[in-house]
Amino acid sequence: MSAYAFITAEKLAELVADLMESGTRVIAPITTAEGRATYSAIEDLSEATFNQGLPMPSLKGHFLPPNEALLSWRQRGGDIELKPASTQFAPQLVLGARPCDVEALQVVDAVMNWDYHDDLWNGRRAASTIFAMTCAGVDDSCFCTAVGSAPDSARGADALLTELPGGYLIEFTSEKGEAFLGEHGRYFDTASDEAVAAADSLRAETRTRIEQNLVVDTARIGRWIDGHFDDDFWPTLGPRCNGCGACASVCPTCHCFDINDEQTGVGTGVRRRNWDSCQAKKFTVHASGHNPRGDQDARYRQRIAHKFYIYPSKFGDVLCTGCGRCVRACPSNQDLVEILQTIDGLAAVEEGGAA
Amino acid sequence: MTELQDLARKLLEDGTVAVVIGWEEGRRGPRPVSITEPDDTERLVFNARCVHNLATYLDPRRSQVRKLGKPAIVVKGCDTKAVAGLLREAQFKREDVVLIGMHCGGVVTDPAEQTEVTAETVAPRCAGCDVREPHRTDYVLGEARVEPPQNTSIDERVAALDAMTADERFEYWATQMEKCVRCYACRQACPLCVCDVCVADKTVPQWIERAPHARGNMSWHLVRAMHLAGRCVGCGECERACPMDIPLTLLNRKMQQVVAESFEYHVSDDPEVVSPIGAFRDDDHEDFIL
Amino acid sequence: MSDTIACPAETQAAHLYEPHLVTITQIVDETPDTRTLRLQFKNPEIAQSFSFHAGQFGEYSMFGWGESTFCIASPPTREGYIECSFKAAGKVTTALREANVGDTIGFRGPYGNWFPVDEWVGKDIVFIAGGIGLAPVRCVIWNVLDRRDEFGAVTIVYGARSVADLVYKRELEEWAARGDVKLVTTVDPGGETPEWTGNIGYVTPVVEKTAPSADNAVAVICGPPIVIKLTLPALDRLGFSDEVIYTTLENRMKCGVGKCGRCNVGRVYVCKDGPVFTAAQLKALPGEY
Repeated sequence: MSAYAFITAEKLAELVADLMESGTRVIAPITTAEGRATYSAIEDLSEATFNQGLPMPSLKGHFLPPNEALLSWRQRGGDIELKPASTQFAPQLVLGARPCDVEALQVVDAVMNWDYHDDLWNGRRAASTIFAMTCAGVDDSCFCTAVGSAPDSARGADALLTELPGGYLIEFTSEKGEAFLGEHGRYFDTASDEAVAAADSLRAETRTRIEQNLVVDTARIGRWIDGHFDDDFWPTLGPRCNGCGACASVCPTCHCFDINDEQTGVGTGVRRRNWDSCQAKKFTVHASGHNPRGDQDARYRQRIAHKFYIYPSKFGDVLCTGCGRCVRACPSNQDLVEILQTIDGLAAVEEGGAA
Repeated sequence: MTELQDLARKLLEDGTVAVVIGWEEGRRGPRPVSITEPDDTERLVFNARCVHNLATYLDPRRSQVRKLGKPAIVVKGCDTKAVAGLLREAQFKREDVVLIGMHCGGVVTDPAEQTEVTAETVAPRCAGCDVREPHRTDYVLGEARVEPPQNTSIDERVAALDAMTADERFEYWATQMEKCVRCYACRQACPLCVCDVCVADKTVPQWIERAPHARGNMSWHLVRAMHLAGRCVGCGECERACPMDIPLTLLNRKMQQVVAESFEYHVSDDPEVVSPIGAFRDDDHEDFIL
Repeated sequence: MSDTIACPAETQAAHLYEPHLVTITQIVDETPDTRTLRLQFKNPEIAQSFSFHAGQFGEYSMFGWGESTFCIASPPTREGYIECSFKAAGKVTTALREANVGDTIGFRGPYGNWFPVDEWVGKDIVFIAGGIGLAPVRCVIWNVLDRRDEFGAVTIVYGARSVADLVYKRELEEWAARGDVKLVTTVDPGGETPEWTGNIGYVTPVVEKTAPSADNAVAVICGPPIVIKLTLPALDRLGFSDEVIYTTLENRMKCGVGKCGRCNVGRVYVCKDGPVFTAAQLKALPGEY
């Protein structure tokens, strides 16, 4: 069930201003003074730069911040007073996020609620309304369509905007989105058939264009990884890898974290959760010094296996939405597009399917 | 190019080395490759887009590389300064590696987008390049190239920072440090960041806060800059690797200038030249000690 | 065969990463580098409602240093407290060693699956442990001994590098004194003292020599990887099938609840799908532990 509407650029600016007036934080892609695209809180819609440069890092930092306080403590004699971080968050509207970033949130929801509910993640999710925007694509490292997503996917979003002359076609795609339309209907016009048709053709064109970049069978890739833990393929990737966390940091689906204490004074401190990466040597090392994933061959295999075998086998979705940030960020040009192509080819040969 | 490929093939075939570390073409420009089969040497390339400092693969702690066997490595002149740095610090012996030097005419800033070295595209690191030709390699291949156009942007940016008040400068760096997410791409790409346990990973005692907030990030990057003073070869790999575009080379360049002024020392491609951090002299300046 | 033992989710605290506060009520130095803490929940309601199963683990906090993962070493049949045993190895355990009786620390848990003790009713049980690997096994041993009538013969084979490295010495004496337990202790050659009356030699040959019957029996084994690696074939020779051999895995953890992403062995998360596995399940996993 979805509902279309149209909003002019002027009305959107007014809507944003009114939302901010009523205490909603608005997050949008912006271009910094240095010329870098990134997701940031804005004060005015004019700061937003939709579809201009791929924001780095992904949207994930607004839901799983690079560092966040889990709790603070104060020691009083032999006693400890704990103050857990609040799981209530002020309302926020994410406006014009790339569909790969938005879909990633829904993918990560699964692990964040795997029997135990991550209240901080869920708190931010519940406080957020997310308007994705049909993506124009970035370059030939985009491969959302190869991993089950699309440049116009509304999965995980409450609405999908498509930029058209004079404004945006907006399709409300969730109950929260429809409630938003109900509450803020005065800003929206009825969508004309022409607008819907124009958006459809734009969306189809972008999908077709991104499909050129990569076509693979992710289920087959998962099966191959499952059966080839010790394959000679992995040591062809490990030596190139520097073992940094650039890929994981910019990735919208990488969610691994560390928990560290910080003393802020005598008997006071903060426990934080910080982004971490499976590519770091320290990630898995035991207190004894033993490291189950002792070199980059094993660590890089873990990255690929987690995304395309482990996660889908547990939660259904591949842990990748095809944004290509890891490809662009890797200082050593490790190339996930090529890696998926290679594994898919190996799997095709083995399973006797079409390459 | 066949010259490089032929040499690599010969070195692998006659068993001189077990792996040749060089560049192959990738979708987004040349990328590091470890060639172990003679027939794969055809993949080797060298051109103005070969930006990586491959000396970083010589860190003996990279067990996934070391287990391939004795390496030959393709280096530009500037990269040999990093090799010399590792030799100076006894990370391995000179005879443990075969160095294939390439004549270099400079490299581009962004190999994914640029192909030719021009005044606009030349990498900042080529500014004031003092070791354009490899001197202490086992081979020197290719044709001598013309000197690349000068790019003085780094020194101009350092000068601009120097011209700021201390408060303004602090504000500038505080803003930059807020961006850091502690992925350690800078450290991992750095050919001289080879500590067994990096100070950032030490927990007993814990010197540097692990959290990527401005305070923890500032202490990380300043400690790293200090530890690279007199050791940094100015290859700029840290800044190139940074996914958050933090201008890390400005810190290292400033330290280079300080070391040059205080100790008349410029990082050398000769491993026999001792660095100020590795040697004590009676007449060392002490005025930098607080 | 399921690739893991079922692990229903436990009820969680108000905030997933918020520990319960516990008081250290007793400290026992087991060996020169291993210490056992007895902990009591400060909140009487939690103390009342807290329950767990043998084999589960927790995240123990030393505020200012962080959290560390240990199994609960006391049995679920002893209510009112929990115990943990640890070696001072890293940042948190080094700090935890400085803690005194009366100090407050944190505890999150219980997490993970457990030994299916109820399924073993009526069976013989062979416990095999090496070094500090006795900690999780001790929890099951006491669990079984506290319900002694429900089980068949109980054999315990415990080895350590030296006499000084044997943990839970008072309890070893207690078990030795009981008529309903067969306890066999051993220390590595050279690790014995003049007074030592137990075996001298590695755990594996002692297990073979003790030769417990595999008929209607299960085995629980925990210790350094080498002990497990060498003893599994010995158990196989004695007729124990991989499905009735249980062990627990340890991997570095941070969250303990399946989120932080570091403890997995292949598709299996030690924190959520483990830490208790059968030998059959273990053999199906890649060797990343």
